[in-house]
Amino acid sequence: MLKMNNISKIYQTEMVQTHALRDFTLQVDEGEFIAVTGPSGSGKTTFLNIAGMLEPFSEGEYLLDGIDVGKLNDNQRADVRNQKIGFIFQGFNLIPDLNLYENIEVPLRYRGIKASERKRRIEQCLEQVGLASRAKHLPQQLSGGQQQRVAIARALAGEPRFLLADEPTGNLDSLMARQVMELLEQINRDGATIVMVTHDPELARRAPRNIQVVDGQLADFTLYQGAQTIKSAAGA
Amino acid sequence: MLLHYLDLSWRSFKRTPLVSALMVLAIAIGIGVTMTSLSVYHMMSADPIPHKSSQLYTVQLQTMDEGHTWWTGDDIPMQLTYQDAENLYNAPIPDKKVAMMRTGFSVYLDSDKVKPFISNARMTTPDFFSMFDVSFQYGGAWSQQQEQSAAPVVVISKELNDKLFAGESSIGKLIYLDDDSYQVVGVLADWPLNLKYYDLNNGAFNKVEDLFLPFSLIKAKELTSWGNSNGWKHEDTRNFADRLQSEQVWIQFWAQLDTAEQKLAYGNYLISYIEEQKKRGRFTREIPQYSLRDVNQWMEYNNVVSEDNKILVGLSFMFLAVCLANILGLLLAKFLRRAPEVGVRRALGASKRQVFLQHLVEVAMLGFIGGLLGIILAQIGLLGVRQSYDYYANLATMDLTMLLSAPVIAISTCIIAGLYPAWLVCKTNPAIYLKSQ
Repeated sequence: MLKMNNISKIYQTEMVQTHALRDFTLQVDEGEFIAVTGPSGSGKTTFLNIAGMLEPFSEGEYLLDGIDVGKLNDNQRADVRNQKIGFIFQGFNLIPDLNLYENIEVPLRYRGIKASERKRRIEQCLEQVGLASRAKHLPQQLSGGQQQRVAIARALAGEPRFLLADEPTGNLDSLMARQVMELLEQINRDGATIVMVTHDPELARRAPRNIQVVDGQLADFTLYQGAQTIKSAAGA
Repeated sequence: MLLHYLDLSWRSFKRTPLVSALMVLAIAIGIGVTMTSLSVYHMMSADPIPHKSSQLYTVQLQTMDEGHTWWTGDDIPMQLTYQDAENLYNAPIPDKKVAMMRTGFSVYLDSDKVKPFISNARMTTPDFFSMFDVSFQYGGAWSQQQEQSAAPVVVISKELNDKLFAGESSIGKLIYLDDDSYQVVGVLADWPLNLKYYDLNNGAFNKVEDLFLPFSLIKAKELTSWGNSNGWKHEDTRNFADRLQSEQVWIQFWAQLDTAEQKLAYGNYLISYIEEQKKRGRFTREIPQYSLRDVNQWMEYNNVVSEDNKILVGLSFMFLAVCLANILGLLLAKFLRRAPEVGVRRALGASKRQVFLQHLVEVAMLGFIGGLLGIILAQIGLLGVRQSYDYYANLATMDLTMLLSAPVIAISTCIIAGLYPAWLVCKTNPAIYLKSQ
């Protein structure tokens, strides 16, 4: 599904050169649920942005579903992003002027889906996240947990095969965080590949595979397979 | 998608009503000022008879001796002498030609219902009406025979007919001009002429005359010109007959030349006419010189639209540019404030092109609203111009072309102003905003 080979990302200013990612190599298979952990400033979000094609990388090779991302122009990247990737952000990032229905409609419009099909998908996604009765509400009329569920519904509406979540529960209390996590697990069981950046070790432990990023590099990974835990150095 | 962009633009307008209203107001003021001056310029420079302007030619002859100069660009007098006008009128070609002069009379009826008043008149030949596409409400032009015999007949304007005869047909009725009675043979239909192109010597924007009489009456009644009359040498003109034979220029002359061949043939005729006159001691220049200018060339030759008008239009466009510079600043602030939302849209699949277009639609909508408001302001401006000067009554108006141009200019200039802000917001890195929102 996702294959990064020796990806580097360098932020260049006049005075300083910062290596946000260096020789980052990772393969994510179809249907996996991966939690990405690491200290602040380690490069987790940079990895996620590159994975989501929101930022270009400086060196290396990135294949998404077999497509060489480095060779795509802006329009092609937007198309691939729109069709294959769903985003869930810590701050929900709902558009305040649009009601829930319209917020979920945004990616579908950019894909050029017909109004009747848009309606079907939006209603289905709102149903899935338990907010079908709130379609005409504005984001600010909802709680944080509800807003994140709307953001998940928006990510799901495009029926993406790949979900990128950046601290999806970071702004939620524990009860709401658990509900959102259960929703993500359900989405993963339904077939979507999920990569989730989180600081929360409890949450990370619920993902079948953990990877840790330190100083822009993949430090190690852990596989949780039932009661058995396999811990290994990266690349082992 | 365009409808969706329009919907987003309208929401954006409502989200920041004050800034949006300021931008619309700035566009409206810029467009109002620009359209006021542009409308006047447009009406002044518009072809007054578009379907025929390239067939109607004014005739100029170089009558002056060598060494004399005129204030025209080519040194040729703008009018003809009476004798040349008479000779050219009696020439075999072209079929349609017209000699004319502006004069005036005291007008009254054989009753005490209307007080005598002074009115402008045009002494002309009967083809005037068909050549310049003037139509009649009642009757028609006088006949060629009446022209030859200097018959006391008159064609009056609709306005004068309304005044003297309450709009009823006055054909056959008599009106008094100075001391003589004239029979009405025709009443003109409405002739809304913004520019009196057929006689630019006597005020291009003056009102069309109310009276039209046979040209031959000039000689018969010894009528003097109420227009420009110019000489270039000393002549001892003691009486009217001397004046008719003098080298003074005071008659306008037009010829209708429908084809290039006709124009060439008439040019050759004028050369031979000058050569013939040379034998009589006139036209002493070695090289015969004449000029045939069509309506638009004649207007340009006479500087109908003065440099001042052109400068005014230029200044008004510069004012519009200043308004747009302000709009550009406001758009920059407004669009960059929205960068986080753009970041979300980009993450959700919007390409830079789609974001760019969305913002251009928004500025186009602002331009459209500003353009409509600008039309209202321009109407107020034009009303002010009309009330300042009488002769702007027909000129200071907006025709359909100008009405449609206003929103087009507003939209296109706004799009130009919005290009940079829209480009700036579409190329922002979405990743920066997604985390920080």
